[in-house]
Amino acid sequence: MSNTLRPYLNAVRSTLTAALTLQNFSSQVVERHNKPEVECSTSPEVLLKPLVVSRNESERVLIEPSINSIRLSIAIKQADEIEKILCHKFTRFMMMRAEGFVILRRKPIPGYDISFLITNFHSESMLKHKLVDFIIQFMEDVDKEISEMKLSLNARARIVAESYLSTFV
Amino acid sequence: MILLESHNVIVHDVLTDRFEKPSRADIQFVDYDNVRFHLSTPDSKTVLLLSMGIQCWPDLVKYGARDHLEKTFEGLLLSQGETEPEYDVSLRIDLEQIPQDPESRNALIDKIAHFKSTAMSAPFISAFEEQASLQANYKDAAGAQQMDVQPQEAKGDLKVVKYREEEAIFIQASHDRVTIIFSTVFKDETDRVYGRVFLQEFVDARKLGSLQNAPQVRYSNREPPLEIRHLPGLKNGEDWGYVTFVLFPRHFANPAQALATINRIQLFRDYLHYHIKCSKAYMHSRMRYRVAEFLKILNRAKPEVAVPQEKKTASGRTFRRQ
Repeated sequence: MSNTLRPYLNAVRSTLTAALTLQNFSSQVVERHNKPEVECSTSPEVLLKPLVVSRNESERVLIEPSINSIRLSIAIKQADEIEKILCHKFTRFMMMRAEGFVILRRKPIPGYDISFLITNFHSESMLKHKLVDFIIQFMEDVDKEISEMKLSLNARARIVAESYLSTFV
Repeated sequence: MILLESHNVIVHDVLTDRFEKPSRADIQFVDYDNVRFHLSTPDSKTVLLLSMGIQCWPDLVKYGARDHLEKTFEGLLLSQGETEPEYDVSLRIDLEQIPQDPESRNALIDKIAHFKSTAMSAPFISAFEEQASLQANYKDAAGAQQMDVQPQEAKGDLKVVKYREEEAIFIQASHDRVTIIFSTVFKDETDRVYGRVFLQEFVDARKLGSLQNAPQVRYSNREPPLEIRHLPGLKNGEDWGYVTFVLFPRHFANPAQALATINRIQLFRDYLHYHIKCSKAYMHSRMRYRVAEFLKILNRAKPEVAVPQEKKTASGRTFRRQ
């Protein structure tokens, strides 16, 4: 692991752990409603200051805490056109399966590639440190996966080209 | 399977079967580039009629496809009047007159299975012939002139085969080479990006020592290459790719080699797109696996809920704890 990735992930991990202090909070605006405040943002007093942890220009994490929910958006590194396509395909593939990933948001926040929404109900039914582990693991693996996919595409292209051209010799 | 086969598997299999045991047939099937086939036994079990419809047939006829087919399938090809309606060419195979020994039978099956590629090879063959005559003339001209007078580069006419609705093959003979240009369209954004990776590898692969003798490959997207830039109706845009193969006389030195080259090169577009689709499928299966892995990690966060066990009393009655 490169030496800038470790501090980056550590920073995200401690920020996220600190932000994951959620409690049940019913809506102040609509009676008998209980909504993630970070999504509807109807009462500004329960929203906390959003925070960006960034490794470089293209890789950053936005954490938006509120009293009963937290929204975490990740921007994934995309160096070129292939990585952009692969990243887009991969995140779209995951978001189409959002009902399996209970904490995954179906649409990312503009400017980011994938967003998670953790409410107090999630943090009550799931172990908090394991949730944080999942996010960190995801961030680690997604980069690895995209670069592996890119490599395999290049390797395949090379084999295809060579075996085609070698038939002419 | 990395390389595509140049013959038609359905024709091959059906004929192998029917040559052994004649029976009725009425099969319609397709091949690459919107080529339609119809194999039927209209009159009797022993007479097979194989018809083919190619989109670019008018182009192929212009470059002598009919004569070439007549030469290859002597005695089998039906005249224009007898051709099955809605198709372009027909072959009649009389099972009572086929050779008896297995070897020549297999050769015949193989020849018929290459029906499509034989039809498509006509413009290539005429370009190769044109190249040979240009080369001969060029030498004479160069010998007669002074060395300091630069002889005009001799060029044959540009042959255009519109093998798909929007895509075409351009073939041009020159005194020392034959240039073949494919235009291809990538309908999908992902295809375009993948296609660029693949084509770049085709260009780079030639740098390998073992592939020095392969034809030179160039590719350009957006803008058509200079050889065909003057043609009207060429599209340029992000989705378009132009691939140029430069064949040297050594690639078609003898008829067997020329045939192999033609069979290989006319499948280039299918080969490229086939592998693009394969890569997409591979990526998809990979993503499926990776997402399942992520889901497992997330599910680890859920604490295991102890299932309340059913308990029984000593007498065997069950009760549920409130």
